[in-house]
Order: sequence, then structure tokens, then C-alpha cells
Amino acid sequence: MIHINNLLSGYGPCDVIQNISAEGKQGELIALVGANGSGKSTLLKTLAGIITPTSGTINYLGKELAGFSSRKRAKIISYLAQNREAYPSMPVYEIVELGRAPYRGSLGQISSTGKDIIESSMVHTKTQALKDRKFNNLSGGEQARVLLARALAVDAPIILADEPISALDPAFQISMMQALQREAKKGKIVITALHDLSLASQFSSKIWMLKNGKIVAKGVPKKVLNAENLKNTFQVKLPKGGFKALQLAN
Amino acid sequence: MKFTILIICTLSCVIFSLFIGTVDLSFIDVLKALLGRGTDTNNIIIRELRLPRSLTGAVIGAGLGASGAALQGYTRNPLAAPGILGFTACAALGAVIALYFGFYKWIPLAALSGTAIGAFLILKISGNRKSASTLILAGVGVSALATALTGLTMNFSPNPWALSEMVYWLMGSLSDSQFVDLLICAPLTIIGIIMLTLIGPDLKTLSLGEETAVSLGVSLGRLRAILIIGTALCVGSGVAIAGAIGFIGLFIPHIIRLIFGSDPIKLIPLSAISGAGFLVFADIISRYLTGPGTQLYLGILTSLIGVPFFLYLAIKETKV
Repeated sequence: MIHINNLLSGYGPCDVIQNISAEGKQGELIALVGANGSGKSTLLKTLAGIITPTSGTINYLGKELAGFSSRKRAKIISYLAQNREAYPSMPVYEIVELGRAPYRGSLGQISSTGKDIIESSMVHTKTQALKDRKFNNLSGGEQARVLLARALAVDAPIILADEPISALDPAFQISMMQALQREAKKGKIVITALHDLSLASQFSSKIWMLKNGKIVAKGVPKKVLNAENLKNTFQVKLPKGGFKALQLAN
Repeated sequence: MKFTILIICTLSCVIFSLFIGTVDLSFIDVLKALLGRGTDTNNIIIRELRLPRSLTGAVIGAGLGASGAALQGYTRNPLAAPGILGFTACAALGAVIALYFGFYKWIPLAALSGTAIGAFLILKISGNRKSASTLILAGVGVSALATALTGLTMNFSPNPWALSEMVYWLMGSLSDSQFVDLLICAPLTIIGIIMLTLIGPDLKTLSLGEETAVSLGVSLGRLRAILIIGTALCVGSGVAIAGAIGFIGLFIPHIIRLIFGSDPIKLIPLSAISGAGFLVFADIISRYLTGPGTQLYLGILTSLIGVPFFLYLAIKETKV
């Protein structure tokens, strides 16, 4: 279980995250929703240890993450960044392999267990066929799947994904969300920032709605994505009949 | 196979360089002199002139190749070169100041001190800020300052001879290399190459971006400090002995990347090996082209050989 207590965090003197407290349980897929600039990415970066919080604590299984070394923390939390960045000419397999960075030896060696985990994460993201291709020769959707495979290769109990489906076509969006849902069903805690409220409603078990760095609503999607919250947070109306998500054709 | 060819090429350059010079020596003469069983003259030519020159060239080339590869990995930019952090300019400033005062024997120490001051300044300026762009800006600033001060020192040069010494020294040469130079340069460069090789795995992780690298346990502060110190050791000790030798740090990792791929874990040691071979090769060419009373400076030659090949590769890559 991850516990966030009175978290204040941001860039320089300005705190974007304003006193957030929340908790996530094993098996939950939590969708962070909110307008641009509401603090979704800042919250994820703080949880991942990229930004040091001004105050407050983040505990995992009762232990404060701030007391962990960066390597130990990296084994607990896997972070999938919003930007799809990798060395252009690097082959896919080597990119996925980087997920094992917290476990490798001083010269980059990877154990046989690590290799099995890499293979399995490539199977789950359907990237085995791409393994020898260079990153810059892949489509946007393929790049997203490869980087998801990299994030899964960490095999961490917590997965944080910052807008993993942005700029993807509907089929890729659904397959990415299905992959994240599968990880949650395996007992992991998945927290993902999403702009697509239909997909958030369809795939998440819980939603944290952010506005101006504060969680203004949290709970199951049906409860959070109501007309009042949508109006206050996004200035939009709830669609008639609620959110309806697309399905894959087969 | 490619690796074996690279090793053979580098070793061949080092061995072949022992045969190059104004005195023609046969294979047996060279072998005997290496073992100390040749004539006195041959022993001096091989053991005190040609061998130190070749080994010093190999060590300096290795340091420049490795630091170029590490910097290109850190900045994620194939145009980064050791000069980008300003260490070449700082070492040159130290050496030019030593020449200004006529302290010829103190040139290596002055150049190393210049590099140490440059490294200290860059570590201080880039401070706790974690971004690669801050480090580059700090490097460009320190480099510009050191270049301006070098110009100032030359401007107030006490006499034309001191000025010409400074100009020639800045062009880079291995012609005066002795074993004592190798003893100064080799340990520092080897420590620098080891440091840079050890950060290879972290540099590879950094290819996913700084945020992802941090989330994977990479300490950007530690990585940057090792990069700065490792590069300072490689570049500073090289410039201290042979003057400013450009282009190797830019051009060698670029070629190695095309042949062996972009993995910094392999790229750094392979760039060291090929940098060693290339600098000795360039020195062989400079000795071939040098007649009595003239000298073709190595720093000029490395650029003259490297630039056309680099441009050819760049154009070829753009077409692909």
C-alpha cells in the first residue's frame, strides 16, 4: 500500500502540489485526472523521486520512501515518462533492457532472472517482433509500447505512468490501458495521469481528480465523474448517458 | 570480428610508428633496440625517442576518444567534444602562462593546474542543477574565459620568440615526447578512462531522458561529477604533454557508433582503443610529411584528416 501524507511539492519556490493526502492499494489502477497544470505530472514525478517534496511523506508498506537509496526506490517504483525519449539508433531490446538498470552490475550485466522478466514484459506489450528494430524506425504507437515494456521490465510493485496514451490512435490507447490494467490485476499499484475521461472511467478502479494542486474528488469513477465535478474541474458537461468508451474490434 | 580488426589496426599503428623517422631501421634493428640489445644509437632512437612518442600518442588519443564518447552520451548530442567543457582551453591557458614566464619544464604542471581550476569552476557553476544543458553552458563560459585569457597572455607576450613558442605549442605535437611525459600522462589518463568506462551503464540509462534515468536509480549529481573529473584527467593530461589536439574526441566516437552501435558501455572503451590508434596514425603521417627544417603539427593534421571523413559520414548519414 502507498500512503501519501500532506504532500507539498513543486519546482523552485513554487509548490504545485498543495497538501495532498491519498492512498493506493495493491491491485488498484488509479487514474489521475485534471486540467492542464493541475499538478498530475508533478505528483507523479514527486512519487517517482524525480522531484524532492517540500514537505510531507510518501510511505510504501509503512516505510518512508525518502529514507531509501535511489536504487532501492527505483526497484519499488517504475516511472513511465510522458516524453517518448530514447537514443534514436538504439535497438528495442536494449531499450527494454534498461528497465533492469536498478538491478544490474557495475558494468551493466543483467542476471538470467532479469532476462526472463525482460522477455515477459516484451510478450505482454507485444514488442518481441520489434526487438531488433531501431527506436527511430518505429511508429508512435510502437514506441509507446516499447517504453511501456521498459517500464514493466523494472517489475516494480508500483507503476506510475504520465499520460501514456497521449498522441496514440484509439486501438493503441485501448491496448496500452489494457496492459496497465493487467499489471494492476497482478497485484501492482498503477497510478496513471489521463486526459481521456472515457478511458479513465472504463479502465480505472479509482480516480483522483486534481485541481490547482489539490485532490478535489477521489473514489470510484462513477462517483467522481459526476456533473458537478466535471463542471468545476474541466468546465464541461457530463455526456448524456455517461461516458461510453470504444472497444477493440476483436 | 570487428573488435579484433580494431585491436589489430591500433597495435599495427603503434608498431609501425617505431619504424618511422629520419633514420631507417630494419625490423631486426627495432626488435633488438626494444630489448636493449641494439647499437647505442639505435637503442636511444627506439627506447628514448620513438617508443615514448608512440605510447604517449596512444595514451592521449585513448583519453580524447573516451572522453568524447562519454560527453556525447551525457549530452545525448553527437556533436559534443572534450573541448565543450573548456578543459582544453584551460590546460592551454596554463601552458601559455608557463611559456610567458619561460618556465618550459613546468608546462605539464601548469596545464594540469589550469585543467584542475577549470574542473573546479565547472563543478561549482553547474552545482546542484541537474540538467546537461547547465553543464554545457558552464563549459562554454569557462572555455571562452580561458581562450580570452590565453589571447591576453599572448597579446602581452614578452618577446616574439615566446609568442612563437606559444603559437606552435597550441598546434599540438608529440615530437618532444619523453618517457617522463608518459609517466605523467598515462596514470592520469588511465584513471580517467576507467572512471568514464564505469559510468557507461548510467550513460546508457540516461538515453531515456533525465527524469526516467533518475527514476531508474541514476544519481545525476554523481554521474556529472565523475564525468567532469574523468574528462579533466584525460583531456588535461593530454594537452599538458602534447598541446591542443582537436577533433579526435568528436570524430572517433561518431565512427565507432556507426560500426558498433550507440551503447555507451561499449562505445567508451572502443573509442579509447580507436582514439589511440588514430592519433598514432596521424603522428605517422605527420612524420612522413615533415622534411628537414619543417614540422607539420599534429593538432592541424588530426583535423585535416578527420574533417573530410567526418563530413563524408555526415552527408552519407543524412542521405540514409
